[in-house]
Amino acid sequence: MSLEEPRDAKPEIGVTDDGLDYDALAALLGDTLLDREDHVTTEGFVVRPDDVQDALRTLKQEAGFDHCSCVTAQEYQDRYESIYHLKKYDDPTHELSVVVPTSRDDPVSQSANDVYRTADWHEREAYDLVGIEYEDHPDMRRILLPETWQGHPLGRDYDQTQPQVVTLREHANPLQEDHMADDTDTMFINVGPHHPATHGVLHLKTVLDGEQVADVEPDIGYLHRCEEQLCQQCTYRHQIMPYPDRWDYTANLINEWSYARAAETLADIDVPEYAQVLRTMSAELSRMAGHFLALGTFALDVYGEFTAIFQYAFRDREIAQDILEDLTGQRMMHNYFRLGGVVWDLPNPREEFFEKTRDFLDDLPAKLDEYHDMITSNEIFQVRCVNTGVLEPDVAKEYGATGPVARGSGIDYDLRRDDPYGYYPELDWDVVTEDGCDNYARVLVRMQEVEESAKIVEQCLDLLEDWPEDERTLQSNVPRTIKPEPDTEIYSAIENAKGELGIYIRSDGTDKPARFKIRSPSFSNLQALPEMSNGEYVADLIATLGSLDIILGEVDR
Amino acid sequence: MTGPLQATTLPETLSGLLGLNTNDPLQWFLAALIASALVGTLMLTNTALVIWAKRKITAAFTDRIAINRVGPFGLLIIVADAVRLLSKELIVPDEVDRPAYDLAPLVLASSALLGFAVIPMGNGIQIADPETGLAYVFAVASLASLGLVMAGYASNNKYSFLGSLRAVAQNLAYEIPLVLTGVSVVIFAGTLRLSEIVAAQSETLFTLGGLAIPSWYAFVNPFAFVLFMAANLAEVGRNPFDIPEAPNEIVAGYMTEYSSVYFVLLYLGEFIHVFLGAAIVTTLFLGGPAGPVLPGIVWFLIKIWAVFLFTQWTRSAVPRVRIDQLIEIGWKGMLVLSIANLVLTAVIVGVLV
Repeated sequence: MSLEEPRDAKPEIGVTDDGLDYDALAALLGDTLLDREDHVTTEGFVVRPDDVQDALRTLKQEAGFDHCSCVTAQEYQDRYESIYHLKKYDDPTHELSVVVPTSRDDPVSQSANDVYRTADWHEREAYDLVGIEYEDHPDMRRILLPETWQGHPLGRDYDQTQPQVVTLREHANPLQEDHMADDTDTMFINVGPHHPATHGVLHLKTVLDGEQVADVEPDIGYLHRCEEQLCQQCTYRHQIMPYPDRWDYTANLINEWSYARAAETLADIDVPEYAQVLRTMSAELSRMAGHFLALGTFALDVYGEFTAIFQYAFRDREIAQDILEDLTGQRMMHNYFRLGGVVWDLPNPREEFFEKTRDFLDDLPAKLDEYHDMITSNEIFQVRCVNTGVLEPDVAKEYGATGPVARGSGIDYDLRRDDPYGYYPELDWDVVTEDGCDNYARVLVRMQEVEESAKIVEQCLDLLEDWPEDERTLQSNVPRTIKPEPDTEIYSAIENAKGELGIYIRSDGTDKPARFKIRSPSFSNLQALPEMSNGEYVADLIATLGSLDIILGEVDR
Repeated sequence: MTGPLQATTLPETLSGLLGLNTNDPLQWFLAALIASALVGTLMLTNTALVIWAKRKITAAFTDRIAINRVGPFGLLIIVADAVRLLSKELIVPDEVDRPAYDLAPLVLASSALLGFAVIPMGNGIQIADPETGLAYVFAVASLASLGLVMAGYASNNKYSFLGSLRAVAQNLAYEIPLVLTGVSVVIFAGTLRLSEIVAAQSETLFTLGGLAIPSWYAFVNPFAFVLFMAANLAEVGRNPFDIPEAPNEIVAGYMTEYSSVYFVLLYLGEFIHVFLGAAIVTTLFLGGPAGPVLPGIVWFLIKIWAVFLFTQWTRSAVPRVRIDQLIEIGWKGMLVLSIANLVLTAVIVGVLV
């Protein structure tokens, strides 16, 4: 499948037939540009901390970088640095990093919130974990750690053994204030952290006006497990790979690909074709498992807790997981990918595996019909889901929404096709989009994506069956210790079940990354929740949350 | 036209058996007390069975096995669950409105039980048979709304509060169509006395291949039957109208702050209500305890369990509507339909009879 041509009629600055012309982009920024850095897949444009908004606005409006994928913050010996990873929804291979250094004494930088709404949460995270402050930010608070936390854990000076002494005064019950005002009819209510509908530990600070949502603010961080810092303490070769399974814990295996892709590009490692096919097949099985769960829990939110669909969805997810267990030896924490390939071949006897997987695929159309009977064609379901939780495409882009959420809003964006990796370009499948922008459209997208995944798995099975026995190379030659050149920086992303899962790695010449940053799709998608649910009914807030299909393990990392 | 089925009420029969004097108020009271205890025990036992049955039924709908460890078919789970629930700590949150908080579970459970006093269950099991039977049963059944408001308002919890407000809004919206549809049956039968309504359904409507189809009002007026079933679902708060407790939205609604015995009472009360709804449906539309071969009480139990099964079915398969949609269906849909049904019935009965 070839790359799509950018659809805009107006030519964007810097776009040429063979990639981006960074000189033209540099010329566009003019004096704002201080320096240019070479990153592995793109270039880094260094700008002054008080020129951030101007530079980003120019790049967004003139050069078409409408997708702020991620904001990475890090601390060097002599400076702090925020990196804005920009992309285009029309063509995500057009990448650009905007690097904003700030001094160590006064780490203040201009906020990008005015240009990209998604920068709001990303900058809060940067402040929380690294300690950079952002001027003009609407809400500069901690986001993952508790309000009372002392120090910034990913900063260089942070003492990990330092006790977090919090005075009693600060331990005061945060809910003590009853939020009752004399002159309003609204009611403040905490949805979560422990609530049947949050599917994890999420806290929604909700203000209700009768049954309608006047305001909602997600409060995250309850499942923060320092994944980035954990990865920074591990060696590239083997130790990091088990962690990605724990990010999106409903569709685990795909996440491994994000690290594999980043590290392989960074260390210039080839992956044998046979391993690519295995990767593609297992990733798609995992995506199906994730989408079944998403469907089942969404039904749970709309139907009620004793619904048949939840069990049906789990029944089918089980089959996909069984197959993955046969392949990887694990049901959830697969740890199947290795840098340069996968850990082992299909289980013996191969015929049995093929038969089992084909049975699953053969039964799928009938099962999907059943789902359509039970879910999408149900009139009450349609009344509940059509035109609720509306996310307009331009709002979705502002918030950096990706995956089924973006595709349900009609944004034709899928990294498997647009920024190809693995064996996807050789296979015949389609990117599913729906124009409804509502909860219903997102459900439809997920159900159709299951079909597309089935197509991919089927083609992979054909390939694997016919693969000559002596050419089944599982791993390429990879050095025992990987030590990339110092100060090599890479940001690369893959399409996981929820959207764009990106990894930023900076090396410092050792066998461990100096900075490991995870861009999780659920983090950005969740940020759009207030836009989608303000003014709607409580029931729709819950349904919308379900249709976003966030996984808190991935949001909080 | 008192039918042969319900010649005497249960206290009268008991007085006869025990040799009590029905004219002596004290002895009459004793007979009535024994009769009530019998019927109450029957209904409570019936509801206790729900603990087991509901899980088995839902499991069947959702491709699972469910309880099968304790006792035959897992039946002893009823005992185990009862002990477990009763032995739990009763947690009463701070600043609850004490008398109301404590009374609410009682009001809910008893209001439903009271309704069974006038339901003819066959084999002479009917505690009382007042002339205003149907009005009485609707009246005590709607006492439950009071219990819900008390529970929600007294709990000092916003979820409970939301739940009880939803419950009131819902009950208001659905009680009226429910009663109006019930009245259409009264127009057919010409009486509010439940035993006579049952008796009126014993006549043969038509004969189909040698099989006599009785004139159950479900056959006579299927439209009213469907309407009543739907309104009844809302009245007992089952899918698609289970929004007063909607666990995914408001945790458990008015039940959120209740634990241990109080929770048991609320839970029990809710299911007795489902059965009371089923009993009303059975009496008004399904010929009460009438049926071939088997004794009346067995037929009665079969019929109320069939209606219960229907509520479990919808619970497993039908999405929940939103509160605004529910109110809209109630006031703009069901009310209009039930009035149309009432007027049509009145016209038909007036012209034909």
